[in-house]
Amino acid sequence: MTDFLRPATVEDALALMAAGGVVPLAGGTDLYPATQRRALPGLVLDVTGLPGLCGITTGPAGLRIGAATTWTALARATLPPALAALQQAAVEVGGIQIQNAGTIGGNLCNASPAADGVPPLLVLDTEVELVGHRGIRRLPLSQFLTGPRQTARQADELLTALHIPASALSGQSHFRKLGARAYLVISIAMVAVRLDLQAGRISHAALAVGACSATACRLPQVESALTGAPAAEAPALIRDADVAAALSPLDDLRATAAYRSGAAAELLRRSVATLCQPVPA
Amino acid sequence: MAITINGTEVPLPEDPRMSLAEFLRDGLHLTGTKIGCNQGGCGACTVLIDGQRVLSCLTLAVQAEGREVTTIEGLSSGDDLHPLQEAFIAHDGFQCGYCTPGQICAATAMLRELAEGMPSSVTGDLSRPAPLTAEEIRERMSGNLCRCGAHNGIIAAILQVAQEGAA
Ligand SMILES: Cc1cc2nc3c(=O)[nH]c(=O)nc-3n(C[C@H](O)[C@H](O)[C@H](O)COP(=O)(O)OP(=O)(O)OC[C@H]3O[C@@H](n4cnc5c(N)ncnc54)[C@H](O)[C@@H]3O)c2cc1C
Ligand code: FES
Ligand code: FES
Repeated sequence: MTDFLRPATVEDALALMAAGGVVPLAGGTDLYPATQRRALPGLVLDVTGLPGLCGITTGPAGLRIGAATTWTALARATLPPALAALQQAAVEVGGIQIQNAGTIGGNLCNASPAADGVPPLLVLDTEVELVGHRGIRRLPLSQFLTGPRQTARQADELLTALHIPASALSGQSHFRKLGARAYLVISIAMVAVRLDLQAGRISHAALAVGACSATACRLPQVESALTGAPAAEAPALIRDADVAAALSPLDDLRATAAYRSGAAAELLRRSVATLCQPVPA
Repeated sequence: MAITINGTEVPLPEDPRMSLAEFLRDGLHLTGTKIGCNQGGCGACTVLIDGQRVLSCLTLAVQAEGREVTTIEGLSSGDDLHPLQEAFIAHDGFQCGYCTPGQICAATAMLRELAEGMPSSVTGDLSRPAPLTAEEIRERMSGNLCRCGAHNGIIAAILQVAQEGAA
């Protein structure tokens, strides 16, 4: 049994990975379809049994999500409304069988430009925790994702957790995605929005778009246009041109570039409108 | 180093790269579990691990070590069919039958998820139990495709069992 490893501790895992040629396996829902059975490359190391990699904990610094936490566990957890977007994304990843096996860490490490977990985590100012035999480091999610299917993770490092700072746990968030149909297709565009509202005005706005650039990204220009705006006027402040300027969508068989950025702008307007609706008393 | 399959302990396959689907079918001759796409897209290979529905084509058999796997063969006892099996027959929930074991395993887990109050992406009011509607069932069964297009019968069968369970 040398080609399947299931270490009991992170230290053991890192020692095994230091030798090189080790491929981490979580839910397998990206790795398997990508590589095809029997051709699973090199040594496979199952991370799902590692202590500390599953589950969500809160502390004074914020929230910690273990990298091997499944979509189902995320959806079932009781979390602050700022994480609503992440939970909405969770219940729309594939079918339930995919949600039961697939993990948030696998979604990030696979680094598809259309990964549904990324926009909701970007609006939460998420940092990723990487651990290697040389030590532990943290970097913002935006720096972890370096390109389509590319991350800053070294081959001998494990993604162990995501950290959401306490400062980003305020407000409410919303997620929307658009595909050619609802199920089992790669999204054309997806957005996450987190807003803080104070006395009918937006005091803080965080917006992110996925599937419309090499990696999902925040939209600082649109965010500043929204900051300070009265809630009722907010959707109209999201201009197609500003959204398009922040993105670099592909022209491919699923959609044209212009359609994608137009769709992203409309999804953003709808999400902002949803979050700005007056709460029924 | 063993897995429990339908209540019986079996040793793990020698080849750790073997998928659970392949192990069930070729290793144990439990051919009720079907392989459609072999890449997570169709749900034909759905089995239960510790009661949770998973795709056996995307699971290594060794990953199920020490856990309980239930396949379609484990749902009935002899000629006594599982209520979902009876309902699938009563509602014509299949044509060729290839997707049926996966549909029934998925539906078994789904009924438990409903009972546990797990919401889906179409559940509007999260403070109350999800309503037993065709829309809810369709959403929750979206990971299982039927190429014969027996979906209406499938939804009707599951809805009937869900309502009887809720009554
Ligand atoms: C039918 C189907 C539908 C899907 N639908 C969607 C969808 O709607 N939205 C979406 O975003 N995705 C979707 N996916 C893709 C996939 O399910 C998700 O990206 C999932 O979150 C991947 O997680 P995993 O645990 O299965 O990853 P794995 O397949 O186990 O791993 C993915 C990659 O990450 C690496 N890795 C995993 N964990 C770690 C770790 N802790 N440290 C370092 N490296 C690690 C692996 O080596 C591998 O390269 C779908 C897949 C299928 C088959
Ligand atoms: S055979 Fe496993 S999902 Fe299609
Ligand atoms: S009955 Fe033929 S695929 Fe469903």
